[in-house]
Amino acid sequence: MLDTYRHVVTPEGVALHLRAAGPLPRALAYVLDLVARIAIYLALYQLLTALFGGAGYAILMLVTFVLSWFYMVLFEVLMQGRTPGKWALGLRVVAADGAPVGWMASFTRNLLRVVDALPVGYAVGLVTSLIDPWGRRLGDMVAGTLVVHAARQQTLYEAQVAPALAPTIVLLQHEQAAVVAFAERAPRLTAARQAELAELVEPLTLSRGQAAVVRLYGIANWLLGRR
Amino acid sequence: MRQERFVERHQAEWRDFELWLEKRSVSARDARRHRREWTGIADDELPARHRRLCQQLALARRRGYSAVVTDRLQQLMQRGHSVLYQTKPVHWRRAVEFLLAGFPRLVRAEARCMLAAALLFVVPLVTIFVAIQIKPDLAAGLFDAQSLANFEQMYDPAGKGDLGRTNEDDLQMFAHYIGNNVGIGFQTFASGLLAGLGTVFVLIFNGIMIGGVAGHLQAVGHGDPFWRFVAGHSAPELTAIVISGGAGLRLGLSLIAPGQRRRIDSLIHGGRRGAKICIGVFAMLVFAAFVEAFWSSISSIPAPIKYAVGAVLWLLVFAWLLRGGRNAIHRDDEDAA
Repeated sequence: MLDTYRHVVTPEGVALHLRAAGPLPRALAYVLDLVARIAIYLALYQLLTALFGGAGYAILMLVTFVLSWFYMVLFEVLMQGRTPGKWALGLRVVAADGAPVGWMASFTRNLLRVVDALPVGYAVGLVTSLIDPWGRRLGDMVAGTLVVHAARQQTLYEAQVAPALAPTIVLLQHEQAAVVAFAERAPRLTAARQAELAELVEPLTLSRGQAAVVRLYGIANWLLGRR
Repeated sequence: MRQERFVERHQAEWRDFELWLEKRSVSARDARRHRREWTGIADDELPARHRRLCQQLALARRRGYSAVVTDRLQQLMQRGHSVLYQTKPVHWRRAVEFLLAGFPRLVRAEARCMLAAALLFVVPLVTIFVAIQIKPDLAAGLFDAQSLANFEQMYDPAGKGDLGRTNEDDLQMFAHYIGNNVGIGFQTFASGLLAGLGTVFVLIFNGIMIGGVAGHLQAVGHGDPFWRFVAGHSAPELTAIVISGGAGLRLGLSLIAPGQRRRIDSLIHGGRRGAKICIGVFAMLVFAAFVEAFWSSISSIPAPIKYAVGAVLWLLVFAWLLRGGRNAIHRDDEDAA
């Protein structure tokens, strides 16, 4: 329940990183979809009754039927697991192995909303999604799907280029990683903060202030293999 | 190997892969149209490229390369994964094949659940019907006076001749029947997840209601227009409800009696088959709604023809469910397992 970050190992032996979404963003997405459906319904109501009169009501009933049973399915399958509500909240439905959700799975999970919505306000779904480590409601479990936070495209920066400098002491693997991470992130910090961080590893840089920052960049470049 | 060298060596590969994902993975139709102009990775080369990328990602993680490399590879890998491992699109021919052969086979595979559902539905229906013939007052206990009056007026033999219908037009009733019946069918299945109890309740409840209405109309002498109205669509509609009930019971059973599977696997198994059955039920109910809206309502057709059509439809439905998909070609299909 506490850890919502999931790893799924693919057939190739590497791990997919899936961030299981909790009940609140999912509920918000559902509400947004509900509003969208009502808006579609009202718009069509005006349009169809004005155009066709009696027959308009018939079409409207068919539309209501489709909206209530297939709105989610159509969007989830055709829009890479996103309904408009999920899109707005950055959520996606995926199969449990991280693959895109298919017609059957999406149909199943939305069919079983009937049970998750029991007795009122998705209470069953809320309880099961709190108990389940993947945050799934019953429909998700049966369909073999889960809702994840879509991976956000974050911009990464290459490390600052500086003359390479061999470290004077042997660095362990994780220490090397920390130095490289510093070189990649520090350019976005203020000069004072850069210096403050660089001074933490004084045994390595053997200097203080701006000089320490430059030396640390140099060591990072050496570690990256820029020579 | 130093990170910088590693990136230098594989950079071009990653760019190609990324380009492929951007240009060719979005729309299959687009990809087909531009396949002659495409000079990047060939489509059939992608799985191999993806495996290479996965290996490089694993290496990068193992060697503790920085986020610039690992995150980028991770993202590429996840995008490649979702292209390579998507479910097959449904072809219309396979959909027809499913309706003609796969669906009946699935229904037969769950014969016991179907039988149980049929009993749960038919026994209350017949019991109530017979009981009301013996003691007509019982109907008043089931329905309030207002609904009874409504039923009587709808199927009044002396009425203006519109069977079971106030004066809305056929199309509207068609839409109404679809929405209503498919809703009931789907709910009958889904409520099976409550250990089957929901399905049992829905089946018995609908049995009692339908038996009650039929019994009452028969008892007060409005039987003829009622039977003429329901004869046509009764076969697809009632069997569809029973079948969705059977699928619901199956789902409930996979919860309380998972057998040698883990409970979750058993649920996934039962749910997948149940959802497939629901697609067939959906098709049956749409067909039933057609018949109900455009055939059952025609009151000028004499009773013998109506009953004959009804009987033919019953025969067809049963022949389809019992014989459909019995050819050897499909014997080792996953549905029959």
